[in-house]
Amino acid sequence: MALSREAIVEQLQKIAGPEQVITDEQVLKENSHDRYRKLQSVFGIYALPLPAAVVKLTDVEQVSAVLKFLNENKINCVPRTGGSATEGGLETIVENSVVLDGSGMNRIIKIDADNMLATAQCGVNLEVLENQLRAQGFTTGHSPQSKPLAQMGGLVATRSIGQFSTLYGAIEDMVVGLEAVFPNGQITRIKNVPRRACGPDIRHVIIGNEGALCYITEVTVKMFTYQPENNLFFGYALDNMKTGFAILREIMVTGFRPSIARLYDAEDGAQHGFDQFAEGKCLLIFMTEGPKGISRATGEGIEEIVARYDECRKVNTQIIENWFNHLNWDPSKVQAERDFMRKNLNLGFTTEVSGNWSCINTIYENTIKRIREEFPHAEDLTMLGGHSSHSYQTGTNMYFVYDYNVVNCAMEEELEKYHVPLNAMIVEETLKAGGSMVHHHGIGKYRTPWTKEEHGSAYYILKALKDVFDPNGIMNTGTIYPLK
Amino acid sequence: MKIVVCFKTLADYPMLTERDWRVDEQHQVDLAWVRQVYNCYDESALELALQLAHDGPDAAACETTALSIDDSRADLFLRHLYAVQYDRAVRIDCGEEVDLRFNPLAVSLLLASYIREIGGQQLVLIGSEGGMGDNRQTGFLVAERLGWPCIREVIDVVPEESRECLCVTSRREGAVLTQTVGLPLVLVIGNVLRSPYLRVPTLKEKLAGKKKQVLVLSPTDLAIAPDNLSGNDRTLVGLFRQRQDRQCVMLAGENAREKAKTLYHQYLAERLKG
Repeated sequence: MALSREAIVEQLQKIAGPEQVITDEQVLKENSHDRYRKLQSVFGIYALPLPAAVVKLTDVEQVSAVLKFLNENKINCVPRTGGSATEGGLETIVENSVVLDGSGMNRIIKIDADNMLATAQCGVNLEVLENQLRAQGFTTGHSPQSKPLAQMGGLVATRSIGQFSTLYGAIEDMVVGLEAVFPNGQITRIKNVPRRACGPDIRHVIIGNEGALCYITEVTVKMFTYQPENNLFFGYALDNMKTGFAILREIMVTGFRPSIARLYDAEDGAQHGFDQFAEGKCLLIFMTEGPKGISRATGEGIEEIVARYDECRKVNTQIIENWFNHLNWDPSKVQAERDFMRKNLNLGFTTEVSGNWSCINTIYENTIKRIREEFPHAEDLTMLGGHSSHSYQTGTNMYFVYDYNVVNCAMEEELEKYHVPLNAMIVEETLKAGGSMVHHHGIGKYRTPWTKEEHGSAYYILKALKDVFDPNGIMNTGTIYPLK
Repeated sequence: MKIVVCFKTLADYPMLTERDWRVDEQHQVDLAWVRQVYNCYDESALELALQLAHDGPDAAACETTALSIDDSRADLFLRHLYAVQYDRAVRIDCGEEVDLRFNPLAVSLLLASYIREIGGQQLVLIGSEGGMGDNRQTGFLVAERLGWPCIREVIDVVPEESRECLCVTSRREGAVLTQTVGLPLVLVIGNVLRSPYLRVPTLKEKLAGKKKQVLVLSPTDLAIAPDNLSGNDRTLVGLFRQRQDRQCVMLAGENAREKAKTLYHQYLAERLKG
């Protein structure tokens, strides 16, 4: 028989200590969602089942004991750290779920300058780690927009990516070793070695699991030499996205690795004020870094390639540097966004996908066209555009951005009326063209209808992981894996 | 009712770093590469005017005009104002010869001349201050030149049942004052809490706004000779950035929990009681 809410709390208090088990209603409300339901939260609407408790985790043994208890009693849990997720992955959709909050496990365990390894507990804020490293002349190379909010456990769990990914890679390229706890209480440590050929790379069972397989308690990431004095910025206005994708491709396949390589369409660029310097134009942005010679040579390579495209016009590099210096979220920006939403009933969402060079422009064009023609509430859209921000040897991502006025609908219906169908159109067009439906936010709970289509025959492997590691289905139900 | 909102755009100053503030020999800071934004008080005024015009009982008879004194960079904003349903967008271009900085006499002359000679509005909304080096005089000088009453620190304005009157709420030395006033009138807009942000146009509205023409006027069009603008009752002798240093206390403690306790007990608990 399922334990009652009271019994769950009582048992958790015995395991973790009364002080670590929070049942305050407001705390439960805040822990029942993430940024996916941002408009509802602004108006104090919490439509999801409130968790039975939030457990403030303190150490790996305690995580193990808590998970073992939840697993034995088939109680759903939602792992959480910084809370900056955007895809509903932190939502408590099952009655009497328990939120496992690792934000208190916030110790930087070791900065190993010899082996260039930084080890941190799951609750270490990335900006805190980054600042500590920079003070010593190092960097993680990881700089997602959520850097001031996000914490190491969540970043790894969602396969996060940062603004300098073209040079440093995404989180999966940075993680060296891990510690994680599985639902049966098993504590696992993957050791820190530069590379090995000892069977499949088991780090990838953990990286990107979105709390659906295990709880990440500790992360070791690579360190790089920090040399911002060599950063160079470049910006070019151009007429269309197709040319921009071609330039990005040429730069990548020629072998240049700028840390930032972005392509904005005119609509998205206007959101950053680029229209004031190049009205109606797309914009290519690059930053090069690293040792002086490499940074300069990369910049020269980019300039040489772009010069071959007549439609490109160079823009003042100070504009680009200024944009770059103010890109990240921070608590004040999040609060400003909330104030704006409340006053104007206008909000924005993003859906990020990826595709090979051969299909990315098709994905971009078809998606924009379909939304304009088929979205039934297009008259409420206040912005529709996007940008590419992470490029690879074989392709790039497309980050669709759309804002809308909420018109004639209850707050509880806003997502269904606007974001859900827009998100669906983007995902469908991407899959149809052969791309991937999620580039770096994670599947969360709202792109699960397409998980099987995304993976095709390889879904066999994905499903087996769930069957083996979480046979009772207590780990973040409804995330990655569609609800049965 | 014909309403004009006088607004200006500013460099987005918070985006500037210390090293960006380089003053040249002409006391100019190169801000050409910095994104412009609406002056926040003017943005509130622009939204208030729309609400007044479109949500009032006399909506059909209202006409709204957005007016700015600027170069062509302001046209992007003026077309944006067309998109949010301003009826007219007007820019007064004085050219590069006239330095309007720290010159509220000239600015108010241009604004009042437009209103009297061309616009014919009965209600003027203008932000209470406008960024760096602002003098907070422009609104009052416009009122004086027009010979109209002026209310400062306005935080709300709604139409009265009588078409000739408005209900204006303003702050006055810590108190909130609500009064019914007749037209014509100049309102100097302060911290508007109800609607501080300008509404957001839809894609369709943006497209329509882009197609509309901004009316560009010169001082000559307003019967103002250039000499009348160059006179200023003050001379700019230097320009420096005002430093705003703040005291900082680093909280001591072994960990975040201890620091949070210190923060609460030493700095927050007493305030929260209040």
